[in-house]
Order: sequence, then C-alpha cells, then structure tokens
Amino acid sequence: MADDDIDLQALNDEDLVAQMHDDLYDGLKDEIEEGVRILLERGWESYDILTKALVEGMRIVGIDFREGILFVPEVLMSANAMKGGMAILRPLLAESNAPPMGKMVIGTVKGDIHDIGKNLVAMMMEGAGFEVIDIGINIPAEDYLAALEEHQPDILGMSALLTTTMPYMKVVIDTLQEKGVRSDYVVLVGGAPLNEAFAESVGADAYCRDAATTVEIAKEFMARRQGSAESRIREKVG
Amino acid sequence: MEATPELGRIRRGGRSARRVLRQTPRAAPAVGLKRSIPTYELLSDEGLTQIEEAADTILQEIGMEFRGDPEVLEIWRQAGADVKGERVRFERGMLRKIIQATAPGEFVQHARNPERSVTFGGDNIVFAPAMLLPSVRDLDQGRRSASLEDLIKLIKLTYVSPWMHHSAGAICEPVDLPVTKRHLDIVYNQIRHTDKPFMGATTTGARAEDSLAQVRILFGDEFVDNNCVLINIINVNSPLVFDSTMGEALKVYARANQATIITPFILGGAMGPVTMAGAVAQTLAEAMPGIALTQLIRPGCPVIFGTITSSLSLRTGTPTYGTPEPALGYLATGQLARRLGVPLRGNGSLTSSKVADYQDGQESADTLMPSVLAGVNLVLHSAGRSEGGLCLNYEKFVLDMEHVGMMHTLVRGMALDDNGFALDAFREVEPGKNFFVCKHTLANYETAFHESELADHRTVEDWTEAGSPDAAQRANAKMKSMLEEYEAPPLDPALDEELMAFMEKRKTQLPDTLT
Repeated sequence: MADDDIDLQALNDEDLVAQMHDDLYDGLKDEIEEGVRILLERGWESYDILTKALVEGMRIVGIDFREGILFVPEVLMSANAMKGGMAILRPLLAESNAPPMGKMVIGTVKGDIHDIGKNLVAMMMEGAGFEVIDIGINIPAEDYLAALEEHQPDILGMSALLTTTMPYMKVVIDTLQEKGVRSDYVVLVGGAPLNEAFAESVGADAYCRDAATTVEIAKEFMARRQGSAESRIREKVG
Repeated sequence: MEATPELGRIRRGGRSARRVLRQTPRAAPAVGLKRSIPTYELLSDEGLTQIEEAADTILQEIGMEFRGDPEVLEIWRQAGADVKGERVRFERGMLRKIIQATAPGEFVQHARNPERSVTFGGDNIVFAPAMLLPSVRDLDQGRRSASLEDLIKLIKLTYVSPWMHHSAGAICEPVDLPVTKRHLDIVYNQIRHTDKPFMGATTTGARAEDSLAQVRILFGDEFVDNNCVLINIINVNSPLVFDSTMGEALKVYARANQATIITPFILGGAMGPVTMAGAVAQTLAEAMPGIALTQLIRPGCPVIFGTITSSLSLRTGTPTYGTPEPALGYLATGQLARRLGVPLRGNGSLTSSKVADYQDGQESADTLMPSVLAGVNLVLHSAGRSEGGLCLNYEKFVLDMEHVGMMHTLVRGMALDDNGFALDAFREVEPGKNFFVCKHTLANYETAFHESELADHRTVEDWTEAGSPDAAQRANAKMKSMLEEYEAPPLDPALDEELMAFMEKRKTQLPDTLT
C-alpha cells in the first residue's frame, strides 16, 4: 500500500495528528507508538497527545462503530493500537497534573467462567484510555476486595452470563457496604441476562448493556467523579 | 383420525355433535414422532471424512482444557490421553473408538405417563420448547423478569400442545426464587403439572443430585438406576474448555445412568472460527470428549451429541440466528452424528427478534426446517425462544408450536398408495368439474391438509370486521384458551406429598443466597 510509505517524521504536527487518527482507525499499533514518540520528541505534553491524538481518534472510531460502519474486529484492532500508545504515555501522565483517564478493576463473578463479553469490555475500555486490571473469571468477593485494595481503581466492573451466577454481584456489593467502601467506587455490571432493574436491585451504579455503552457510562462517571473531586478541592481552598 | 366414508349417508348427530367434534382439541400424540423422509445429506463421505480429520487434528494438536477437576484428568490419564496440566490431547480416533464401543445409538427416556415416554436416536424426532430464558414477554403485560408463575404456565401450555413431546427444563428461569433453591421448584413443577418427560439441573453437582433424588421418589431407585428418566444439558465452554461445574453434573448423571446432552455452544467469531467447516469440526471436536467421558464413567449410559452453533453480527458482537451458514452447519452436523452413532440434539425456533414478527418467523423457520432435515433427534428450543435466548415470548411460543405441528406432517412424507394417487377421483370427476364432493375428498378432507389454527385465511373484509388481528394477537387469544383447556394429569397425592416434603426439607438445608 502506498500509505505504508508515509514518513511520520516528515509531517507537521497537524498532519501527524490527522494521520494518527487514520492510523488508529486502521488499527496500526506500531505507527501509533511511533507517532506518540515523535510528538513527545517535539515537546508535546503527554496530556495533549492523549486527548488530541489518541482520544479524539478513538472518538471517531466509536462513532463509526455505533453507525455500523466498522466491524468488531476492526474496533478491537483500533483499541489495541490505542493501548500501545497509552503504554508509552501512562507513566508520563502519572507524573503530570493531568486529570486521570480512570482505572477499572474488572472480573467475572464466582461460579461463572464466561468471559468473552467481559474481555470485550476490557479491550474497549483500554481503547478509550482507561487503565484496566482484568482479574479474570470465577472471582469470589474477597478477591474483588483484594484487587480494589491493591489497585485503588475508580471503577469496579462485574460480569455474569448465567442467571444462576448473576445474583453473586449482590454478594460482592453487600461486602463492599459492610466494609464501608462501597461509595469509594463506581460499580458497573453487565452480562446478557442482566437489565436495569437487576442492576438497581443489587445496588450497582449502572447496568452496561454492551461494551461500547460501558465506555460511555464509564466516561460519564469519571467526569462526575472529577467534577466532585474538583468541587471538593474548591471547597477546601475556599 | 378416522376417515368419514359414510358422509351424506348416515346421521352423525347434527349440529350439536359436529360442534363438539370440531371444537375438541386434537389429542396429543401418545408417542414421539418418527421420520419417514430421508435426511438431507449435504456433504459427501469424503467431505465428512475431512471434517472428522480436522476434528481429530484439533483434539490431537490443541486438545481441550478440563478446568478444576483432577478426577476427570485422572480418568483421561487412565484412558491413555496425553494430560499436561489441565490440557488433554487425544490420539486420532481414540474418542470415536471409546464412544462407538458402548454409547447407545437409541434409548428411551421414560415419562411418568408411560405413553409419553420418548425415544432418542434413529428416525425419532422429539420436540421440546425453549429453556432457561430469564425474561418473558406477552401482549398483555409486556416484558418482565420470568417467575415461577410463568414457568408453571409454560409447562401447562407445553402439556396441552399436541406437538411438544418433551417439557424441557426451566422453560423460563424463575428468577423470583433464590438461585440456591429454584432447581428444586423447577423439577417439582415439571412433575406436578405435566406427565411428559423433562430435564434435570446441571448448574452444580449437588443440584444434579437433588434432581436425581426427586425422580427417585417419582420412579423408585431401581427403576432410575436401570432406565433413563432425565436428560441433562452439559454445555462445553467453547472454545475447547470443559469447566468443573459441567464436569461435576456430567459425572453425577453418568454414574446414575441418566442421559447428558453434550453441547458445544459456538458463535462464529467469538467462540469459534467464522467459517462453517471449522466451526462444525470444532463442534465435533468439543462434543466427543464429553460423550466419551460419560462412557468411561459408566459404559453404556445414554448420551446425546448436542449442537448450538450459530453466527454473530461482526458489526455489533451480538449473536444472530436463522442465517444461512448455521443451516448448512446443522445439516453437516446431522451427518456427523449419524456416523458417530449417537442421537443428536439441535434447535428449533431460534431468533434475535423481540416480538412475533417477520424476522422471528423467518429466522425460526430457517432454523427449524434445516434441523428437521438434518435428522436432529431432539429439537430443543422449538418454541418461544426470542431475543437470542434472553426472553420467552408467549405469543411466539404458541405460534412456534403450530409451526412444529406442520413439521409433523412434513416428516411423514408423501404416501404413494392407492389413496395417495386418488385415481378413482379422476375417474369420478369429469374434466372441468371440481373435486369438492367426490368420494375421495369426502373420505379424506378432514385430515388431508395440515390445518393451522393460527394462520388467517379469511377475506380482508372478514378479517377487518374481526378487528384486524395480526398473528401475535391471534396467538395471544389461543394461549389463553389453551390455559383454560389445561387439566392437570393425575398425580398420586401420597407421591406429591413425598415430593413436597423432600423439597421443603432440602430448602431448609440450603442457604437463601449465594455465598
């Protein structure tokens, strides 16, 4: 392909960012990593690279996925390219004062080993810039708690495919309540047999009907969390 | 039904007698259905051998993971499989040999009413409704979580239908009951409200034991040990994983000489490849270890090869049904099951549609028909399964049962006897006249064509005057009349008491919630 010949170094900033949007769309991980490095060399702030090149590129991918133009494998390739760029930026972002994109611990509940949907969510969340710690399948409450303790995420995600295992989500949330840490996390739940009413009945913050929706909901909660964090800071300062 | 050759020559009781006759529901067939038409042989012997070889390659090179079950790993080790950690690889042909040595090609599942017992395998076809759906929908109350009340209604509708030979298990999942206890209610209500055969619990080994205890009360210990009274779904966790939950239930049932249905669930692109030859080879590769395992645990115990292989929308990631690719897959899988020599479970009326509409009809038909032509012996999910398996649609349930009724006529084939050719009718009817009242028509008209109770064939004027009801509205009315028609099959009160006492006792022993 002629496009393979593009020399990213030779592009000005504006053209490079536009090319990175295309490369994200095409799921080109190596090219995205190269683009991120070039922008860093040119003195860009890590937060600007994240928002202007990567997040904006994935926003476009998200639109075309919802409109049915892109296929799932293409979106996952895009997410994987995004993940490559994020791996370079994450340590730099941590050092800066940039607002965090958000961190999620995700796992399939005890008794359930079905994880295709959960893995899709994890990949899409990473594709949107979230840091995702996937603790796997068949997860008992104590393991969720240990992971929350260890990773201090913003979001806890739980999935179940079976009607016989989904009630375990309540066990986990009740345990969070007992330990007095429930309000420290946004709890998102998903899985084929779930619905809004179920999520409410187990005390989750939201039901996520598919991977793309999960990303949207997670972003909303992050914005709210940051908003409330900022207002707390303002209160202190004021 | 008897023909009526004396029509117009003898008194038949006039209006009152005819009205009773015509409005009496058709009695359920006492036994299952046997096909008289050939199966559709999609692939040549050479093609089938290629698929079997691909399955052998998958089993030999990649193998299967048996998670969290040291006992099963030990069984494989002793049988000569290559066991490394939880990964088990099989020599080419090894599983086929184990299966063909002892697995029965045909077996009977006994119902509490012996006339309702069904045979799996050979030319037999058994239709069963949908199962495990967590929500329900009807025109009266919309969509809601499924409850025990719904399950009981669905068991009753299945019982009343002459076209359902089997009552499945949790037709809908009674999510209003605690997970830890609901398996007891499901089996109890199957015993209580129907005398058709049904399924046992498989979600843990202990729940499988409970189902066994319940049928032992019903049939007696010795009868259960010597006869199949439960069939039970064991899903392979595709791709190529067998988990300990399913393994436990499989062991419980195989030891008790009860049947398991070893079912890989493959949606191309997610749990398997996006091409059918590979997905069908995977189906065979994933089913054979489970089937063979039952034979290693109890040689000769009944077992069914299951399949639910379908497609996926690769634009959204959601399952799709009634597409042409799985139809081809079902036909090939039917051939493979016959070569393996075990009965096959396939699927009836699968759809992603939410309501009883054209999409539902098309997708269901394009699943049901190829399954019937494929030679499927147990056609599960043949009524009511909508939303890709998430919701039981009551109107669809009734419409599907009607459709299954038509399959009964189809599989009986075309009669080539004197009555079939009707040459006397041609001799009697002059050219240019009509056949309405010739002797042959009078002798055959009542049963000549499958008569749909739900399809509308009226003139548009009559239909408009009746309120322009669509198929779902007609089905809704039919559903209500079927429930009114329902009369519980008799159950010995002492037995009922014993079953209730067992259930109550177990409920006090089991926790209310998951821990």
